[in-house]
Amino acid sequence: MRKISCMVLVLVLVLVLALSGTAFAAEKLKVVLVLPGKMDDLSWNQSMYEGMKNLEAEFADKADFAYVEEVYDVAAIEPALRDFASEGYDVIFGHGFQFMEPILKVAAEFPNAMFALGTGFKSAQNTCIYDVKLDEGGYLMGVLAAHMTKTNKIGVLGGVDVSEIYRGHEAFKLAAKTVKPDIEIQEYYTGDWRDAAKAKEGALSMYDSGVDIMWHSGDGIGVGAVNAAKEKNKYILGNISDQYVLAPASLVSGTLYNWTSVIRQILNDILNDNFTNRENKSYWLTVPNEGIKLAPYHDFEEIVTPEIKAEVEKTIKALHDGTLKIPHFEK
Amino acid sequence: MFAGTIRMSVPILLPALGDIYTQRSGILNLGVEGVMLMGALAGFLGVAFTDNLFIGMVFSAFIGMISAGVMAFLSVTVKANQVIAGTAITILGAGLSSFLFRAIFGVQKLPPLVREFPVCKIPVLSDIPYIGTIFFEHNLFVYLAYILVPLTWLILERTTFGLNARAVGEHPHAADAKGINVSLTRYLCVLIGGAYAGLGGAFLSIGFMNTFLAQMVGGRGFIAIAVVVFSRWEPFRALAAALLFGVANALQVRLQAMGVPFPPQALQALPYIMTIVVLLSVSRRASFPSAYTIPFSREER
Repeated sequence: MRKISCMVLVLVLVLVLALSGTAFAAEKLKVVLVLPGKMDDLSWNQSMYEGMKNLEAEFADKADFAYVEEVYDVAAIEPALRDFASEGYDVIFGHGFQFMEPILKVAAEFPNAMFALGTGFKSAQNTCIYDVKLDEGGYLMGVLAAHMTKTNKIGVLGGVDVSEIYRGHEAFKLAAKTVKPDIEIQEYYTGDWRDAAKAKEGALSMYDSGVDIMWHSGDGIGVGAVNAAKEKNKYILGNISDQYVLAPASLVSGTLYNWTSVIRQILNDILNDNFTNRENKSYWLTVPNEGIKLAPYHDFEEIVTPEIKAEVEKTIKALHDGTLKIPHFEK
Repeated sequence: MFAGTIRMSVPILLPALGDIYTQRSGILNLGVEGVMLMGALAGFLGVAFTDNLFIGMVFSAFIGMISAGVMAFLSVTVKANQVIAGTAITILGAGLSSFLFRAIFGVQKLPPLVREFPVCKIPVLSDIPYIGTIFFEHNLFVYLAYILVPLTWLILERTTFGLNARAVGEHPHAADAKGINVSLTRYLCVLIGGAYAGLGGAFLSIGFMNTFLAQMVGGRGFIAIAVVVFSRWEPFRALAAALLFGVANALQVRLQAMGVPFPPQALQALPYIMTIVVLLSVSRRASFPSAYTIPFSREER
């Protein structure tokens, strides 16, 4: 008899614990970040991964975070999103332009789940878009590149010409032309986000034709461009993450993304029930809100003259106080 | 631009040459892409752990053979459908290579880099104006690819093994009646193809980028298979076809960079369009090995 009552007691205890556990967990937001590439790509994916990772402590009792990598193809994205939505994830981040159509489709099927799209232009009631004003970053790089070039030939290299990449490239070219109207600009899109060898070949070809400084707009292909600069001993400007370690003697500077504040904003809006009823569905990473920053000069601290640094600072300041208006580039 | 052509054609030429053996023996290995990825990883690991570029090359060829060995087992021993087996190898290679890379190196703040392959200038030849810098200022991989073209031709056309391989691909029953071990020959051909493909992958990881990146082969394995078909299983034509692809690629880079008023997407498609056009013009004359993709079994006629 004692044995049985003992067992019953244990059973009840286990049940209570289990139930309280689920009840407790249900109050937490379940957040998943779906990355199209690897979380250590030194670029687009890594910046977002680290941005969210930074928030784990802050949201420790409000949200649980999960990460998934390498969901690249549109054919793979849709089922992945549907999986997470049906497994009870409350917030699903799709970190890339190719997530746009799948998110809209799955968001309609799961009206209670919330979705955040990394760059794009379409949204629904339970989705939002977080995007980067790469036109501001590109403009900054254009100013720097145009001042640094000795051959009067600069280059810009990117993955697919969509969305923020296109805006960044156009602003880069505009800025360079503003600084030096007679400058020659070469531009190359590889057409995909991760064929680094193709990007390297493109960069080598530009350097061979006299380009002495280039900006790449990031993603997996950026590693290829930096690699080419190292091999040819020419200058390169990075994007998204600080790629100094890849080529200390070539990497002049670059733009850095910090997604943390944008993610915090989105999560807080969801927690405060201010998400689905928003008018404006976009969250922007900009120079003024310090989501985009200038990377340190590292070994180029001495080589970049104070005059050039002043020009760059002037541009940053103009972006901050709104005196510099970059036209809106739309395809 | 032309040196770039050579560089861009090597990772297509190497697997294509290997695949000529494989296809000549009657096996369609659609898993070349996956084998290349495994080779790319193996080459990188070899150099990362021994700091010896030569060991990296050998190791990539070895792992290429093991990966292709799976294909050989599935298609020769198990007699599985080769299209499905090959597709499985591609998916396996892509997943396994990035999984192993992560398992070994973890999540990195900076990607592990290995030392670069030195450029060897070939004395005398590299001094020839224009041609010298285009053809004779590359690293070991490129020269290896040069050498393998006539070597592959020699083995296939002038040795007993080459004759056996072709016989097995054309008429396995006759070959069997002649006392040729059909399974062994096919195994060997697939394994040789794997070694070449592994080296092709290693060219991308240690011969060109000195790092490993997930999916870095980027579809070149499939282009290699197409190159084999439109070269009509002939090594010298495969060289021409790989160079054509390299030219088209280098050309689209130059055209885009020069700012030709043309949508970049159309230019990016240029190498593939050229591939299709050439394929159309030659494929009417292409005669596939008679026993192509057909598993050999003594009992069946």
